[in-house]
Amino acid sequence: MDKLWKNLLISIKREKFLSLSTLIIMTITFTVLGFFLSLIVFSQTAVKYLENQAQITIFFKDDFSEKNILSLKEKYEKDKTISNVNYVSKEQALKIFTDLNKNEPILLESISANILPASLEIRAKRLSSLSALAVKFEKQDGVEEVRYFKDVIENFRFWSNLYHLIGLGLVLIFATISFSVVIALIRMTINSKGEELEILKLVGATDVYVKRPFIFQAVFFGLVSSILSFIISVVWILSLVGSKFFGDIKTVFILPVVEVNIFVYLIILGVILVLSGALLGYFGSLTAVKKYLKF
Amino acid sequence: MSQIEFKNVSKKYGQDSVALEEVSFGINDGEFVFLVGPSGAGKSTLVKLLIREILPSSGVVLFNDRDVGLIPQVELPSLRRKIGVVFQDFKVLKSKNVFENVAIALEVADSSDETIGNVVPNVLGLVGLSDKTERFPSQLSGGELQRLSIARALAHEPDVLIADEPTGMIDPGSSAEVMQVLDKINSLGTTVLMATHDFSIVDRMKRRVIRVENGRVISDKNEGKYNG
Repeated sequence: MDKLWKNLLISIKREKFLSLSTLIIMTITFTVLGFFLSLIVFSQTAVKYLENQAQITIFFKDDFSEKNILSLKEKYEKDKTISNVNYVSKEQALKIFTDLNKNEPILLESISANILPASLEIRAKRLSSLSALAVKFEKQDGVEEVRYFKDVIENFRFWSNLYHLIGLGLVLIFATISFSVVIALIRMTINSKGEELEILKLVGATDVYVKRPFIFQAVFFGLVSSILSFIISVVWILSLVGSKFFGDIKTVFILPVVEVNIFVYLIILGVILVLSGALLGYFGSLTAVKKYLKF
Repeated sequence: MSQIEFKNVSKKYGQDSVALEEVSFGINDGEFVFLVGPSGAGKSTLVKLLIREILPSSGVVLFNDRDVGLIPQVELPSLRRKIGVVFQDFKVLKSKNVFENVAIALEVADSSDETIGNVVPNVLGLVGLSDKTERFPSQLSGGELQRLSIARALAHEPDVLIADEPTGMIDPGSSAEVMQVLDKINSLGTTVLMATHDFSIVDRMKRRVIRVENGRVISDKNEGKYNG
């Protein structure tokens, strides 16, 4: 192991510029990877949040009795596509209205419970079933109006899917560049050690003995750059999480149905980045060694 | 049964350049053989074929009854440890001292530090470099560099030592020292095959001489001389 470290230091000294550019490009790759993985996770969390907030509000005509509304509530609660039904009576509507407009006394003076409609707030299990439910509710007797914000959520979903695709594309482009840079680095090292490798071969070195330092070097670069990019990712994620825009996020959705603590997500991100670094270094150097080390 | 055997070996580089043509000879265990001939006669090609640096265009090269051309890639390091090679240009690592240059031959075979600690002083003693273990190649004379190269080739206790023009780049005094070392190694039982065009050494040693010219063996005599 000592010899591997010694060889690595000599190689970095000999190829200072190439080593530095390899480290920078690999760090950019993994930072981009970390950024887009986090973008996916945060947009997924935002979609989940919006989905939870998404509701259809059915306002009823004044002549539609509370008894009728409550029987409808009972009916909708049995519907498998609906997750939650909440009845808001005229009195509760007035209370909500009063709370929202407590600084507008003139407006409040002219409002009474009678002019506000009773309503049912309905949350669907899936965002996709909102439209069908809304159409169904509109046909219901006694319904004055059906309101829901489908477009906002679907627009958000569209853009977040687009970002995912762009992110994936960028990660692939940077990974290809990093892979090529690792190959170039190993090739330069092989060339600069030409005579030494020939001598090792003549004295009966095994393939593994000759290849080991090159693979060690590339895996080292992969690990260092992925750790650097992980540190960068932690800094920006924590600053984002603490910002006013995101509020105080404590949990995120790493998969549509898996919700974890933000620190657990950071650990998972670290493992993914470090593993990607080691694998990119390993396979990049293996390819270079196969291609340029005639042994 | 010969330890080394070339059977109808030909080697062509490209279409027209013939390095060897239908070469056949055998070398027995413990022999000291000179391979002589002018530059470009095919001596180095014979050496490269034996350590499988190149493959023959036709014919067979046998080492200890095994077809060298058919030895799998993974077994090549093991073959190269059984055949020690010494080159005209020494091929020592400039960044390593005398001890380390010999130790590298054992390190590549994953030998323990204890083995390295025992073997290296032994072989350095055999070639007369015991007092120069800490010196770097730039601090050694041509003869010392060649003896260092021989010490490294001996580290694995090879069955055969091949010396390709070992005195080609050193002065006559140093050449004599190198020949003394090779003679000593041979007397301890190692087969020595030495390619050279230094007629004074060949004539003085009175050993078997195989003469190669234009890629063909034109004479093979025990206690031969450079010119027959």
